Amino acid sequence: MESVLSLHKISKRYGKIQAVKVLSLDVLQGQVYGILGPNGSGKTTTLSIMLGLMKADSGDFLWFGDAPSKKSLKRIGAVIESPNFFPYLSAVKNLEIVASIKDLSFDGIPDVLMITGLYERRNSRFNTFSYGMKQRLAVASALLGNPEVLILDEPTNGLDPQGIAQIREIILRVASKGTTIILASHLLDEVQKICSHVAVLNKGQQLFSGKVSEVVAIADCIEIAAENQELLDKTIQSHANFKSLIHSDGKSLVYFTQAIKPQEINEFLFRNGIVLTHLSEKQRSLEKHFLELLQENQ
Amino acid sequence: MIKLLKIELKKIVNYKVFWILIGLYFVFLALGILMAEFTLNNWIDNFNKRLPIPLPHITLYFFPDIWQNMMFFASIRYFLIFPAIIIIILITNEFTFKTIRQNLINGMSKQEFLVSKLQVIILLSLIITIILAVIIFLLGVIHTDHPNFSLMMKKIVFVPGFFIQILTFLLFAFFFGFIFRNTGLTIALFTLYTLIIEPVIYYILKIPYFQPNNISPRLPVNSVLKIVEYPNISSLQKIAGIHLQDTVSILDCIVPLIYSAVMIGIVFRIMLRRDI
Repeated sequence: MESVLSLHKISKRYGKIQAVKVLSLDVLQGQVYGILGPNGSGKTTTLSIMLGLMKADSGDFLWFGDAPSKKSLKRIGAVIESPNFFPYLSAVKNLEIVASIKDLSFDGIPDVLMITGLYERRNSRFNTFSYGMKQRLAVASALLGNPEVLILDEPTNGLDPQGIAQIREIILRVASKGTTIILASHLLDEVQKICSHVAVLNKGQQLFSGKVSEVVAIADCIEIAAENQELLDKTIQSHANFKSLIHSDGKSLVYFTQAIKPQEINEFLFRNGIVLTHLSEKQRSLEKHFLELLQENQ
Repeated sequence: MIKLLKIELKKIVNYKVFWILIGLYFVFLALGILMAEFTLNNWIDNFNKRLPIPLPHITLYFFPDIWQNMMFFASIRYFLIFPAIIIIILITNEFTFKTIRQNLINGMSKQEFLVSKLQVIILLSLIITIILAVIIFLLGVIHTDHPNFSLMMKKIVFVPGFFIQILTFLLFAFFFGFIFRNTGLTIALFTLYTLIIEPVIYYILKIPYFQPNNISPRLPVNSVLKIVEYPNISSLQKIAGIHLQDTVSILDCIVPLIYSAVMIGIVFRIMLRRDI
């Protein structure tokens, strides 16, 4: 698969705050890539950098394998933060401005308004729209000209359940046509439902990246306890697939770099002279994994 | 280039606030011009009641002096500030609505964005100058007894002179808009500077000498006003034997142009560096 976006060791700081810290990402064609993190984790900054609104302090990035340019921006449809339009202009006029900047004809405007369910209200002024409609107009503007990549920043933020469902349905429909999607969100549920891949950010640092299905389905975490917990911790760290460890309730939650069978761990520890008092396999939801990752990183 | 202007016009044409302000501007400007002679003569009449030898009435609307007289009135601060506020609103709106971000995300470069605003300023200056010139021309034709072509064209240099005035003044507004970015703050600071701060500096600089000096008239706003510094109220001036101004000097035009060139340079530098 071709590389769509490749971030290489991007860092950005605002005064004392390190917004993004040596972040590297690779998004391939056709992926629905979630950038997941709590508020203030550097998601919007990362998007702003990749769209050329901000300059990174260090690091570089490539769009479609080349240095970013005006040309590459025209292959991307993006909305950052809240929907930004002229409040006194109608939906159609606002989209005409977007189309003009992107050198597109106005013929595609009815289509994107249809897809986002705004066609009936196309001549209403933007400031008469409900918040959900504003978000959908933002998605409509990003969809103009059938971009190869769609970038959305918290597209369902502040919407009611119906609005959330509408936006998600639109995103999934666009993704099914093969459009690469980069989605920033602080909602795990959203990423789990929409994305194929995910990168987890906290305080500007990447904690994890990989396939959502892998994160959700595979038990690469085992909870263990023994009489001598200290020795246990020490021993388990010498396991070839060991990744990380956290303590909870006098037990140890151990993460492995790949799926692991409980009997294998039991055997490994027994060989090293440890008898377990507790062993359980942990099926993790993305949410739990996310919280664990954040905790680990405190 | 035409593409950028088209995008800008799309932003402006459906903007009610723009049309209300530009409408008010022309109403006040027209009233100011039409009332000028009447008001001055009314004032002279009152004054004459206390004078043994009455002063003659002033005539402002004759060719060729009408060009100078009317451009003098049109370029007083209180009129110029109207279109300047319009420009400030058009620029700061982009920051308020965050549409500048969206424009850049959609593939417009920062340079193109700035150039598009400069195009609006040039276009607005041209339109205002042309409309004003047409009004003055008609007024002159009505009031001049035997208008002939050479008489009409004699002081036409005040028309391009006024164009430089409004252009450079709007460029100052461009500078303020991009530096402060917030509509209310920018309008307040721009008005404060134009109407209070610079006049105060103007007189402070004059104090030690109690006479005209070379610096005060070269302050930014004053340098704009200096292009058409005085009206030519011929009859009165002849009586008093004074000769103030009857053409536009190149030097007077160059000074505000240099100011605005520097300001444009600063805006480009800051905008290209700053994150949006």
